[in-house]
Amino acid sequence: MNRADDAGDDVRDLAPAYALDALDEFDRARFERALAASPELQAEVAAFREVASGLGDAVEPVSPPASLKASLFDRLDSAPQERRADAAAPVEAIDSAPAEPAPVAPVSDAPVAPATSEAPEAAQASEVQAAPVADLAARRRRRRLAIAWSSAAAAVLLIAGAFIGANWFGPNGWAAQREMAALAAASDAQQTTTPVAGGGEVTLVSSVEQGRSAILADGLSELGDEQTYELWYIDEAGASSAGTFDVAGSDEAWRILEGDFAPGVAVGITVEPAGGSPQPTTEPVAVIQT
Amino acid sequence: MLDPVVDVAEQPEEPPRALEDLLVATAAGDREAFGELYDATSARVFGLVRRLLVDAAQAEEVTQDVFLEAWQTAARFDPERGSAIPWLLTLAHRRAVDRVRASQSSRERDLKAGIRDLEVPVDEVAEAAEIAIEHEKVAGALTTLSPAQRECISLAYYGGCTQSEIATRLDVPLGTVKTRLRDGMIRLREALGVTT
Repeated sequence: MNRADDAGDDVRDLAPAYALDALDEFDRARFERALAASPELQAEVAAFREVASGLGDAVEPVSPPASLKASLFDRLDSAPQERRADAAAPVEAIDSAPAEPAPVAPVSDAPVAPATSEAPEAAQASEVQAAPVADLAARRRRRRLAIAWSSAAAAVLLIAGAFIGANWFGPNGWAAQREMAALAAASDAQQTTTPVAGGGEVTLVSSVEQGRSAILADGLSELGDEQTYELWYIDEAGASSAGTFDVAGSDEAWRILEGDFAPGVAVGITVEPAGGSPQPTTEPVAVIQT
Repeated sequence: MLDPVVDVAEQPEEPPRALEDLLVATAAGDREAFGELYDATSARVFGLVRRLLVDAAQAEEVTQDVFLEAWQTAARFDPERGSAIPWLLTLAHRRAVDRVRASQSSRERDLKAGIRDLEVPVDEVAEAAEIAIEHEKVAGALTTLSPAQRECISLAYYGGCTQSEIATRLDVPLGTVKTRLRDGMIRLREALGVTT
């Protein structure tokens, strides 16, 4: 309800709570965005992490069952390791915080990705030095690269789906469909899929070139008349509404986000009272980092 | 007896390798080093994860995931910038918290109401705040906090609560929780002598 005053928080003030893993999704998204760009903030977080780990180290140790080690070692073969970034190359900035473990995927518990590479040639072209890791971030990167090959196909699918029950006006009208098709066909189109708390998943299609993004919702719960899903662009300054959508009658829905898509912005989805809210009033059911 | 023999006999066994060295070797794919690292740290990791998850089976799963992630991302560890234990415990805490929240949201699944899980009774708040602290240094540092700060930090770190969950549970404004966490952590940082 009173998100508006939170949006004014200095992002630096969030470092202690971030180190405790106590930030709510929105704050975490905007903090991680700022963190990636700020060595001072990274140092700040490192110091608070050390404090937090003091708290962790103070917990009485408990030996895990011996079988745990054996089954862990059984998994190593299928768990590729990241390579150490070449010491000579000034690539530190690529990873948000090299001394930090990777930010864990929001909302979901990231499953271990299969060790297979979806698009080897694309992976080679990647600016990322590290080998694929079994975390969502890496899967996202691979997916993002793979979309370059399939965006034409995706556009066809999107258009085919969107024409059913088309109106001329409105958020899913003819104009929006043309925009959607253009977006999916953009040469820099990127696609990221995230599970949604409460079931289903949502895919963000975005193009920096076009400054637009859209979501495709699949299998989300129907909310009824009293509530709606609301979209948010999230950056350091906080969350700004990017429109609402509903999934009544069909388990698939799509929507072009209102406002401009800027590179690196996060997209969040919350459940709000019908008509939407000026600021989020509930925790997001999904957050997609771009 | 010959001196050299005595020397050898009196000398303790080769000192165990520093955890940082083990982690660096792990990054290069050294499974033996990784095994040593596991032996030296798994009880601490498991202890922390269990503190957050309570359910032993889940705690075991998460602990295994933590070490698997350590194996995969050890290359990100920079011994110049920190020690192995904070690195591992950071990873462990984050994974455990993610699991706490994931199981909460699958339990709720009540999107329509848009409400959060509020079932943990307030008694557990007190328990979280009273966790037995083994480390004298940490225990000492915690005494420099106000009871309200200590409670918030305990709920966050040992309870896996977000700031707004803490606010709801304690029935205090979110801004108050933020301030308590921030000021408390700054005070702890000073008391523990951590420099930025």
